[in-house]
Amino acid sequence: MLVYPQLGTGALSQFPVRKNHHMRTVVNTALDGSSVKLADPNGEVTEWQLSYSDLSDGEIGALEQFFAAAEGTLNGFTFPDPTANLLAWSGKLDENAWTPGPLLTVSGGIGDPTGGTQAWRLTNTGAGAQSITQTLPAPAGYLYCLSAYVRTAQAITATMLIGSGRADRAVAGQWKRVVFTASGDPQGSSIGFGLEVPPAASLDVYGLQAEPQSAASVYKATTRGGVYENARLSADALTITTTGVNRHSCTVNIIHANHL
Amino acid sequence: MATFPALKTSAVAQYPARKYVRFQNQTLRFVDGTEQRFRDAGSPLHRWDIALSELDEGEMAALEEFFTANQGAFGNFSFTDPWDGHVYTNCSMQTDTMALAALGEMRGSTSLTVVENRG
Repeated sequence: MLVYPQLGTGALSQFPVRKNHHMRTVVNTALDGSSVKLADPNGEVTEWQLSYSDLSDGEIGALEQFFAAAEGTLNGFTFPDPTANLLAWSGKLDENAWTPGPLLTVSGGIGDPTGGTQAWRLTNTGAGAQSITQTLPAPAGYLYCLSAYVRTAQAITATMLIGSGRADRAVAGQWKRVVFTASGDPQGSSIGFGLEVPPAASLDVYGLQAEPQSAASVYKATTRGGVYENARLSADALTITTTGVNRHSCTVNIIHANHL
Repeated sequence: MATFPALKTSAVAQYPARKYVRFQNQTLRFVDGTEQRFRDAGSPLHRWDIALSELDEGEMAALEEFFTANQGAFGNFSFTDPWDGHVYTNCSMQTDTMALAALGEMRGSTSLTVVENRG
């Protein structure tokens, strides 16, 4: 599957990013102002406008190569939303999107760092490390940043997972945000993200987030997740303006529709 | 019943905020110039234009999630009028489109129109 290219910085886009989200509802309005509504979930359309400036020769070359491979609006590609948390159900670790280890107990309603009760407790009752992971149909060769707020009653070392990459993080009694940036197998068409809890330990978790960039941004709670398969370019033309040596700018419009 | 999301400051709107109240009446004019008026609906309906700027990424995502969860104009939710604190329990988005702009880090903007429903 064709994938949208990252820039040399590991970012997928630059500011400003504009995003339009369209739904479709059929509304029959009566004279007294009351109405009957019918939703059409298949009518959902999402559009992005990505404006780039000061791109290097290599970066604009990658965009041109991608545009040629997509043949304008013809071919679909996988697009990780640069404004989104890529993980689905980031606030509900008991959803099917998540795969917990067989000896890992996942329980909700735990106090979170924002004062709510949206955190989760991962309790490992086994004699070996257990993990909770989510696999996304996203390009494994991207640079990703995985982040989460964690705490535990006793000091432990938790492990963050991005593909086959692992990073140990010390966790203690206070909430703290742990971050791990890595990329996976360059040829892979899916990549897993997760947390591993050591044996006979428990870990409170809030705000799991994966982003297609080198550093973590503000936590965004999700249901759908931010990977859009079969997205398309909105136009058959790509206009590039060169403003100096090794300095290029362009605007890319992308669309994703459930019914396409 | 879902509730319209508040910003981190607990506010639901920023300045400038606009509010509309609309009655629905009919007027019949007779040949002698006199008129007879009557109500089409028993009570007025309210509408709020909410333009938001300088939002962080989390606030933007929460608003987009709310819009998606409601399937645009389809879903109903309760909305607290920022002018007087009155809770309107039967409201929805006016349109099926939401435009979001991330102009910089923690500089997101969007606008929404909330309408009160009848029935």
